[in-house]
Amino acid sequence: MSLKDEMKPQRNILHDYGMYIAFVVIVVFFSIATKGLFISSRNIGNLVNAMSYIAVMAVGMTLVIVIRHIDLSVGFLAGTLGAVAAISLKYWQLPVGLTIPIVLALGIIAGLVTAFLVARMNIPAFVATLAGWLFYHGLLQLVTRKTGTIIINDPIFNAFGNGFIPDIKGIMFLPDVHKVTLLLGLLGILLFIRSEIINRRDTKAYNFGVIPMNMFIAKLVFFSIIIAGITWVLAGYKGLSWSAVVVLLVVFLYYYITTKTVIGRHIFAVGGNPEAAQLNGISVKKITYLVFGSMGFLTAISGILYASWLRSATTIAGTGMELDAIAAAFVGGVAVSGGVGKVTGSILGALVMASLTNGMNLLGWDISIQYIVRALVLAGAVIFDVATRKRRT
Amino acid sequence: MDTVTDTKPVAEMVNIRKSFAAVQALKGVDLVLHHGEVLGLVGDNAAGKSSLMKVLSGAYIPDDGEIRIEGNKVHMSDPLDARHLGIEMVYQDLALADNLDITSNVFLGRELVKTHLGPISALDSRHMEREAKRLLDRLKIDIPSVRLLVERLSGGQRQAVAIARATAFNSKVIIMDEPTAALSVASIKLVLDVIRELKVQGASIILISHRIEDIYSVSDRLIVMRQGRKVHDVPVTGTLDEFREEVVAYMIGARDDFSNLEKN
Repeated sequence: MSLKDEMKPQRNILHDYGMYIAFVVIVVFFSIATKGLFISSRNIGNLVNAMSYIAVMAVGMTLVIVIRHIDLSVGFLAGTLGAVAAISLKYWQLPVGLTIPIVLALGIIAGLVTAFLVARMNIPAFVATLAGWLFYHGLLQLVTRKTGTIIINDPIFNAFGNGFIPDIKGIMFLPDVHKVTLLLGLLGILLFIRSEIINRRDTKAYNFGVIPMNMFIAKLVFFSIIIAGITWVLAGYKGLSWSAVVVLLVVFLYYYITTKTVIGRHIFAVGGNPEAAQLNGISVKKITYLVFGSMGFLTAISGILYASWLRSATTIAGTGMELDAIAAAFVGGVAVSGGVGKVTGSILGALVMASLTNGMNLLGWDISIQYIVRALVLAGAVIFDVATRKRRT
Repeated sequence: MDTVTDTKPVAEMVNIRKSFAAVQALKGVDLVLHHGEVLGLVGDNAAGKSSLMKVLSGAYIPDDGEIRIEGNKVHMSDPLDARHLGIEMVYQDLALADNLDITSNVFLGRELVKTHLGPISALDSRHMEREAKRLLDRLKIDIPSVRLLVERLSGGQRQAVAIARATAFNSKVIIMDEPTAALSVASIKLVLDVIRELKVQGASIILISHRIEDIYSVSDRLIVMRQGRKVHDVPVTGTLDEFREEVVAYMIGARDDFSNLEKN
C-alpha cells in the first residue's frame, strides 16, 4: 500500500474545543462572582428554558448559513406563529394536539415561501428575508391588534416552556433530587462513551489515525463531567424541563441528519461549492427548499416554546430573536463563507450567549454594558475561530 | 470484454454542429476515440474544443450530428445522462467541495447508503472510505489520508482526486479539460503520472490542453481544432520539437487537412 495511514489532526484541539473551554470559564466566573447563585439548580433551570427557543432557531440558522444564505425573517415569524398558536387555543378553541401541527405546518410553508424567493426568483436571501422581517412584523401587529397581548391558559401548551418531566414517586433515596433526570443523565453519559469507543475502534480497524489514548480518555472524562454536572444541577431543582427535552430532540435529530445522512452531506456540499454539487447531480434548488423549510419548522417550534414560556403571545414577540440565533451560530463556529458549521457548536453558542446574559443580569450589570460584553464575545469568538482554523498552505 | 465491442470505437461523434445565436461554435466535427486510447485535443481559444467536449459530456445538446457510445447511438439531455452512459468529465475549475474530505468528494452525488428510512438515507461512511482509499492506491496517488479536507491538498493532489473520482464508477470515457493548467511543475508531473497509470489500466481518455508537451508525453493521437472545425487528426510521432511545430502550424491556420472537405 502506497498510502500512509498516519495523519495529523486537521484542526488543532484548540480550535475544536476552544469554545467548550470558554464556556467552562464563563460558568466558573459567574458562579464565583455570584457566590454560587449562577450555578444554582433553579437558575440553571431558568437559563435552559430562556435559551431553548434561541437554541432551536440557531440550529436552523446554522444550516441556512452553511448553504451561504441568511434568514432575518425568523424572529417575527416566530412571534407571529406564537400568536397564531394563542389565537387557535383561545379563540378557535382548538386543542393543543391540533394547534401545534397547524403552527408547525404554517412554519414550514413560510420557510418554503422564503426558499421560493431565494431559489426560484433568485432574490438574495438577505433581501428576501428582510422583506420577510417587515412582512411578519406587520402580520404580527395585525393579528394581535384587536386583542393586544393574548394570555394563554392551556396548561398542556404552557408546560412546553415551563413544565418539567415527571419523576418517579415514592423513592426514599435522594429525596430532593429528580431521579428520572439523573437516570437520563447517566444514560446520556453511557451512550456518549459507547459511541466514542465504537467510533474509535472502527476508525482503528480501518487503519485511520486516532488521537492518543490519554487524550481520548481526557476527552471522555471532560465531557462526562460536563454532562454529569449539568444533570446534577438540573436534578436538584425540578429536573429536566420539557423545553430542554425539545432542544435535545432537535439537536439529536439535526446532528444525525447533518453528519450521518446523504441529505446532510449534500447540504454541506452545496455550501462548499454549489457549482460542484450541481455538476454531481445534487439539486441546489431542492437543498435550498429543504433548508429553508427546516428553518421554518424550527422557527415554529421556537415560537411555540417562546409563547409557552411567557404563557402569552405579545405584539412584540420575537423581536431581535433572529439576531440572537445568528450570533449563537457564529459564536458556535459557523463560517460566513458557507460550508462549515456544526449543530452542536451552535447549541454551545446559544448556551454561551444565554449564560452571559443571565450571569450579567444576576450581577446587576447595566444593560448597555451587557450589549458591549456580548459584542466583544461574539467578535472574539469569530476572531478565535478564524485564527485557529487551519488554511490550505 | 468481448471482441466485438473492442473493435468498435468507445465513443464516436459524427458531424456535430452547434450554434450560439449567430456564432457557429462547431461546424460539423467528427471525432473517434478507441478503447484504451489517450486522445489529445488542442486548439486556440474559441477553437471549439471545450464546446465539443461539452456536447460529449451532455452539457450542450448539439443542433445536428450523432453521438455513438460503443456503437450505439445515444441522446443526452444533461450531464447526468452522459454519466449514466459512462462518460465522465473532469472540469477545469475542479468540481470539488473544499469543505469536504476526499472520500465525500469522490462519492459526491453517488454516496453509498447503509439504510433507507423514508427520505433519509444513512451514509455508509466506512465502506466509502475504504473504496476511496483503494481507488487512490490503484492510481498510485500518494495522499496520506482520505479523510483530509480537499482544501488542504495541493493543486496537483486536488486534480488527482478529481480524476480519481471520474474513474471511480466504471466510466468508459474520461474527458479532462486542462488538467495541468495553473499547476506547479511538481503537480503537473503528478497529474501526468495519474493519466499514464490510467492508460496502463486501459482507460479511454480525451485530454484537452494548451500544453503541447503534456499532450505529447501522454497521448496516442492528436486532434487539432480551429474555428469550430477539425483541421488535423494524426497519431503522436516524432520528436517534441517537430510535434510542436506541426501542431502550432495547424492551430494558427497555416495548415489544414480538412478544408477541402467542407467549404463555408
